[in-house]
Amino acid sequence: MSDPLVTLVFYGIAAVTIVAAIGVVSLRNIYRAALCLVLTFLGVAGVYILLNADFVAVMQVLIYAGAVTTMLLFAIMLTRSPGSPRSNAANRQSGLALFAVLVLVVLLVLALGTAVWPQTAPVAAQSSVDVLAKQLFTTYALPFEIASVLLLAAMVGAIILARED
Amino acid sequence: MGQEFYLTGYFYAAVFLAVGAVVVLGGLIASLLLAPRGHKTREKLRAYESGEEPVGTAWVQFPVRFYIFALLFVVFDVEAIFLFAWATRFGQLGVVGLVEMAIFILVLVAGLVYAWRKGVLKWT
Amino acid sequence: MNLALLNPEIALVVLALFVFALDLVWSNKRGIGYVTIAGLAGVAALVAGQFGLNTTSFSGALIVDNFAVFFNLLFLGAAALVVLAALQYGEQFLHWRGEFYGVLLFATFGMMFMASSGDLIAIYVALETASISLYVLAGFRKHDPASGEAALKYLLLGALASAVLLYGMALLYGLTGSTNLAAIGQQIAGQAGQPVTLLAMTLVICGLGFKVAAVPFQMWAPDVYQGAPTPVTAFLSVASKASGFAVLLRLTTSALGPLQSDWQAIFTALAVVTMTVGNLAAIPQHNIKRLMGYSSIAMAGYLLVGMAALAAGGAPSILLFLAAYTVTNLGAFAAIIAFSNATGSDEIDDYSGLASRSPLLALGFGFCLFSLIGIPPLAGFFGKFYVFAEAVNRGLIWLAVVALLNSAVSVFYYLRVVKVMYLNPARDTSPVNVPPSLAVALAVTAIGVVVVGVGIGPIMDTAVAAAQVLR
Repeated sequence: MSDPLVTLVFYGIAAVTIVAAIGVVSLRNIYRAALCLVLTFLGVAGVYILLNADFVAVMQVLIYAGAVTTMLLFAIMLTRSPGSPRSNAANRQSGLALFAVLVLVVLLVLALGTAVWPQTAPVAAQSSVDVLAKQLFTTYALPFEIASVLLLAAMVGAIILARED
Repeated sequence: MGQEFYLTGYFYAAVFLAVGAVVVLGGLIASLLLAPRGHKTREKLRAYESGEEPVGTAWVQFPVRFYIFALLFVVFDVEAIFLFAWATRFGQLGVVGLVEMAIFILVLVAGLVYAWRKGVLKWT
Repeated sequence: MNLALLNPEIALVVLALFVFALDLVWSNKRGIGYVTIAGLAGVAALVAGQFGLNTTSFSGALIVDNFAVFFNLLFLGAAALVVLAALQYGEQFLHWRGEFYGVLLFATFGMMFMASSGDLIAIYVALETASISLYVLAGFRKHDPASGEAALKYLLLGALASAVLLYGMALLYGLTGSTNLAAIGQQIAGQAGQPVTLLAMTLVICGLGFKVAAVPFQMWAPDVYQGAPTPVTAFLSVASKASGFAVLLRLTTSALGPLQSDWQAIFTALAVVTMTVGNLAAIPQHNIKRLMGYSSIAMAGYLLVGMAALAAGGAPSILLFLAAYTVTNLGAFAAIIAFSNATGSDEIDDYSGLASRSPLLALGFGFCLFSLIGIPPLAGFFGKFYVFAEAVNRGLIWLAVVALLNSAVSVFYYLRVVKVMYLNPARDTSPVNVPPSLAVALAVTAIGVVVVGVGIGPIMDTAVAAAQVLR
């Protein structure tokens, strides 16, 4: 990311993402928190685009900002009084949690800031779907098939737990 | 093809996004500035339901059945993503890819059949 | 790609689908249970046929070696015993009894791949398959709020742990450019000095520490163990823990091999706190499932002693401990299930006078408790003996002493249960009926506890053969 404009865009997206993420945990109305989560998901998608991972970005928008959010909003509507201003649960440990998060951030910044990543040959900037599809169906064929059982287990499990007897 | 070229496409997308935001926000701001500000009667503050009289509150507890539909949606959304990746390289992946995808879909279809046989897809 | 290597796993998925299909058309839920057990035996035969194969496939994502065979047999055996123990207990699942067996098979499927994957992505997907199935299983008593609470707590904390694990894996990939464990092992040496390498390793160990219920990632265990249906608790305490250790063993020996001194320090610290917290917290418990929860945390601590002492050839002691612990704990849970089926209670006080009410049940339970303490010549003794001896061999004498002191503490709470059963007067003198299926489960495990102890030679040989493939 040598281009100053790209750097600027990155910091803009990152700021939006972080502010939205803080909103998710701090807003008292759970519905607003959920909408903030959508913004966080979209921000992450933006970061993926800046990293040349356009397919992952599309995935992020479709699955997270789309499907997962839909499910989340459904789940909110399934509960009794979602509209109440204090529906987003909080407890007295939030101070402790903040401390833990800050410690983690310091550790991450120290570790990642000094990290020297091994250099790989530069990849031609192209659509990442092509590379990803090839990897998925050759190198990662086994995890791909295991994932189908994972999804099946999730589906069956949801039916068992959510269906009224 | 450099990074700049790759990002140019997204620059257009960003412009569209900005235009979209301006249109929406512009509409809201314009209505805020231009609309006559009368006294807010109870009738005016009521939710607009296309002419229907609103009954009760907008917040009702939905039946848990919705959740199963939402989850099935997520599962098949994920499947669609994989299908998309597979379709873009269908030619090169050949028969092996076809078989892999077929197994994947068959396993998920088994789940759908299960849901159908369990009667969770019925809307009664 | 050698598809034949996947035969056991494919057979297991087909079995699970068959169980679900059977459940839709057959109202004899007990029959479905027997079909499941027969199917698991068939899959186990397929796995046993792979012993000595030692090969990889699917670009290294699948490793079929003795280590995988050992763990897969452990998971399949545990699953079969849990099904046997759940045949009657399952009546509480109302008309979801058939599904119980199916979801249990999905969990077993995930665990099998956890033990036989040589790729970070495959390991993660397998771990999630096992975890999601276990979350569902924990909530299977749908009419019981405690079961729902257990499922929810397990899900939320499990998702957090899974995110931590994934972050660590992503950093490992970034540092080495590969998701293959062997390839990571070759590349990671060059990155050993960096803080970020340590961070990646720590995150991975934290994520897996949750899976095996090591302190300080144990906070879910007591509540989940108590709230989940008892057969699920049994499965969690043995198979889920073993699967976590299977991944830890593979990761530390192949991918993180060059960082041995670093992870040794982490495991040493984890072992000390896990043993101590587990044992001390078990003392005041009055619910037997909660007691077993803390007991399983303590057991994770002893296993971590083994991880801390893990060096060339050090793994057999861990495998032996896991085998002994699996048999013993399943036996103990069979007894707990039998008691709660008959009386509807999990309170230790209600076990008063069990020896006079149902002598064989008390005897079987007592055997398992003595094995958990580590009384020779029962299985548990040899498990602990070899692990502690390994620690001494590696010069970690103080750690072995701490482990021994902890064992001494554990005598107190295990013996208290024995005392309640044998010395306290029975408040209710009616005999506790043990159905044949549970009697078989208890008999198999009780015999196993003795046989593993007495016939230690060949079992140790198998463990050595299984551990040989690590590095």
